[in-house]
Amino acid sequence: MEVNPAIQSYVIEARDLLAQLETMLLDLEVSATPESVDSVFRALHTLKGGGGMFGFPALSAFVHHFEDAFDLVRMGKIAVTRPLLDAALAGRDHIIALLEAGGDPERSDALAKSPEAASILAHLSAAANSSPMPPPPTDRTWHIHFRPAAKAMMHGMRPDLLLDELASLGTVEIHCQAQGLPSLADLDPTQSLLSWDVTLHTTQGRAAVESVFIFAEDAELTIEEVIEPEAEVEEKQAGPTQARSPTAKSPQNSPETVRVPAPKLDAILDQLGELVIAQARLNQIAARFGDSTLDGLVEEFQRLIGGLRDTTLAIRMLPIETVFGKFRRVVRDLSVELGKDVILETEGGETEIDKNVLDRLSEPLVHMIRNSVDHGIESEAERIAAGKPAQGLVRLSACQDAGEILITIEDDGKGLDHERIRQKAIERGILSPDATPTENQLAELIFAPGFSTAEKVSNVSGRGVGMDAVMTTITALRGSVEVMSRKGEGTLISLRLPLTLAIIDGLLVQLGGDIFVMPLIAVDECVEFDLTELRRDSGRTMLAIRDEMVPFVDLADLFNVSTDGVTRRRVVIVRAEGQRMGLVVDDILGQHQTVIKPMSPFHAALSDFAGSTILGDGTVALILDITSLLRGLLNGQTQALAA
Amino acid sequence: MSSNSNLDDGETGLEMSLIVRLNGESFAIPVRHVHEVIHEIPRTRVPNAGGLAPWLINVRGAVVPLVDVRRRLCMPPHDGDDGQIVVLDLPRGNESHRLALLADGVEEVMEIDPARIEALPLRGAPWPAEYVRGSVRRNGDLVLIIETESLFEPDPSSPPLH
Repeated sequence: MEVNPAIQSYVIEARDLLAQLETMLLDLEVSATPESVDSVFRALHTLKGGGGMFGFPALSAFVHHFEDAFDLVRMGKIAVTRPLLDAALAGRDHIIALLEAGGDPERSDALAKSPEAASILAHLSAAANSSPMPPPPTDRTWHIHFRPAAKAMMHGMRPDLLLDELASLGTVEIHCQAQGLPSLADLDPTQSLLSWDVTLHTTQGRAAVESVFIFAEDAELTIEEVIEPEAEVEEKQAGPTQARSPTAKSPQNSPETVRVPAPKLDAILDQLGELVIAQARLNQIAARFGDSTLDGLVEEFQRLIGGLRDTTLAIRMLPIETVFGKFRRVVRDLSVELGKDVILETEGGETEIDKNVLDRLSEPLVHMIRNSVDHGIESEAERIAAGKPAQGLVRLSACQDAGEILITIEDDGKGLDHERIRQKAIERGILSPDATPTENQLAELIFAPGFSTAEKVSNVSGRGVGMDAVMTTITALRGSVEVMSRKGEGTLISLRLPLTLAIIDGLLVQLGGDIFVMPLIAVDECVEFDLTELRRDSGRTMLAIRDEMVPFVDLADLFNVSTDGVTRRRVVIVRAEGQRMGLVVDDILGQHQTVIKPMSPFHAALSDFAGSTILGDGTVALILDITSLLRGLLNGQTQALAA
Repeated sequence: MSSNSNLDDGETGLEMSLIVRLNGESFAIPVRHVHEVIHEIPRTRVPNAGGLAPWLINVRGAVVPLVDVRRRLCMPPHDGDDGQIVVLDLPRGNESHRLALLADGVEEVMEIDPARIEALPLRGAPWPAEYVRGSVRRNGDLVLIIETESLFEPDPSSPPLH
C-alpha cells in the first residue's frame, strides 16, 4: 500500500504534538495558567482536526471527548485536578496507540472499544463532572454606594470596619462623598452624614458583598456589578498573548525548520568521514611534494573540511530536554505507584547531544531515575523522622564539560548502604570476603552484573538486571559512570559521554609492525619507558610517575606482537573509570582525527577495540577501547585477589 | 558485478559462479554475491581475533574483515602475504554484509546447473558437510559448491579474552 505523504506528515506532526502534550499536562499540574490550558486545548484540537482529515476517525472521536473536557477547563467551568490529569495522561498514551494503529480500521476499532479506552473516558467525564470550579476565577467588578442611616452611629455602627471588610474581598477604590455637610457650628457629631462610593474588584459574588452590609439595614445601599465594555475585554485577552510570545517560542519567531529523515543525516556523516580520511591522505602526499602552492591549498581544504565537520555534527545535535519530558512522566507515575511524593528537577535541558547518543541514552537514564525514586527516596514517614522535607527530590542536570557531556542524577534519599552492598557482593561472589574496598569501589559494585540490593523485588526495580545494562550501554557509548553516595544524604550518579560517536581525536601508537589508535580523551600522558622494568625478577609491573604508582601492561604481550630488536619503548598513561594504567608501546606517532568504523560481526566480541579507522596511507588501524581494556585487565587482577 | 542478478538464468536455474582455488581444491561462489576481485593489498592484523577473520582491509574506503575459511574447511591456515581477495556481499537479515575472502587464486566464471550437483560421499570429503553442499564435475575434476550462508557465518562463541 502506498503511503500518502500528507498522512505521513500528519503522523510525524501528531507524534511531536503528543510528546509536547505530555509536557504540557505535567506543566499544568505545576501551575494551571490560562495559557497552559489553552495550549493543551490547541494541541488537542489540532490532533482531532488532522485525525478526521487523514483517516484516523477513531482517534479523532476519542480526542473529541478529551477536548470537551479541556474546553470546560478553558471556560473555567471545571478545575484542573489530579484525577483529570491522570485521565488526561492515560488518554494521551491511548492516542499514541491509536496513532500507531494507523488507518487500520480493525485495529483502531478494537482499541476504541477496549476497556482501557472506556475507563479513560469514564475517568475523564467523572473528572469533568465532579470538579465544578469552586470559585469562579474570573474577576468581577462591583460598584457599591453606601450611605449609613443618620442615626446609625448611635447604634454602634462603624463604617470604617465595613470598608475594611470590603477591602479584604479584593482590591478596592474608595471615594468618600462629603457633599451637603452643614457648617461646623451646626454639625451634630452623633449623626452620620457621609457616603462612600466603592469600586471593588473581586472574585466573590454578590452574596459575599451583601453579607458585609448585613447589619447596616437602614443604610442607603446599592450594589451593582460593572460589566466591562467589550473593548477592554479584548485588550485584556490580547495582553497576556503578547507578553507570552517571546518566551513561549511561538513558531512565528523561531527560524524556519526542515524535517530531514535521520538516514540522510547518517549518509552525510559517512561521506564526511570519507572526506576526513581523504584529507589525511592528501596531507601526506602534500608533505612529500613540499610544494608551497599545494601546501596552501591543502591548508585551505583542511580549514573547509573542519568547518563542514562542525556544521554537520551540529545538525545532528539535539537538546537533551527532548527526553526530559519523558522523565517527568516516569517520576510522576512512579510516585503514584509507590505512594511517595517525589518531584523531578531538571537543569541544563538546552545542552545539546548527538541524536544517536540521545536515542540510546534515554533508556539507561529512565532506569537510573527509577532506581533513585524506588531505592533512593525513603517513605514519607522515614523522611520526616530523618528531619528531611516530606517531598523527595530527584535532580537531573546536564552540561557540557571539556568536550564531553556531563549528566548527573542526584537524589536526596537515604544514600547507598555500603555495608549492605559489601555483604550482598560477598553473597553473590562478586567480592572476596577479605577484600577491603573503598566506599567508592563498593558503590561501583551496583553496576556489576547480577547485583541488586533491593530487599524485596518491587514492580519497578530490584531484579538486578538494570544497572549493569546501564553500564553496558554507557560503555558502548564510550562514556563512563561514577557514583558518589553519603548515607542518609543521598546519591549522585554522574555520566560522562562524548559529544559525538562518529569522530574522535586519537593518538597513533606503533607496536611491532602495527599501528593502533588510542582515543585522546583517555590519554593522560606519555613517558619514556626503561626497558629493564620489563625484566624485574620480582615480577613487579609498576611505574613511579611522579608521586603515584601506576601499574603497566605491555601491549605487545596482550596483542601477541613481537618486539624483538626494539631498543627504545614508551609508555602511554591512560585513564578510565578513575583508574590509571600504563600501556607500553614501541613508539608514539602523533595525533590523528579519526572516523570510527564499527567492528564487523566477526570481531564484535573483541571488547578491546571500539572500532577501526583508515589512516592517511590507506591502511586500517584498530581503535582501542580503553575503558573495556582496563576493565578486563583490572578484573583479571581482582579475580586473582578473590581466589 | 553485484547488481548483475540477471546473470542468474531463472528459466534454466543455471547459476553463474566464480571458481576460486583454496589449498588445491576448487570452490564455486555464486557470482551474484561477488562484488569484486582485488589483488594483494595491505592487511591489518586484528589481535586475538581467532582464525576465521584474522585481518581487516580497506576496500575503497570501507573497512572489511578478511576471512580465511581454510580452518573451517579443515585445511592448514593461510600463511604468507600472497593470494587474491574476493570481496563478497552476503545478505544477513535484511541487510547486505560485506566481507572479503582470502583465496589462493581465482580461476574462471562458469555456469553451474543445479540439476548436476552431486552429493558428496560420506567418506573421502574432509570438509564438514554444513559448509559444502555438493560438487559438480569439470574437466574430470571436482568443483565444490559451498554453502555461503554457513561458511561465512561469524563464530557464535566469543573468542577468549587475553
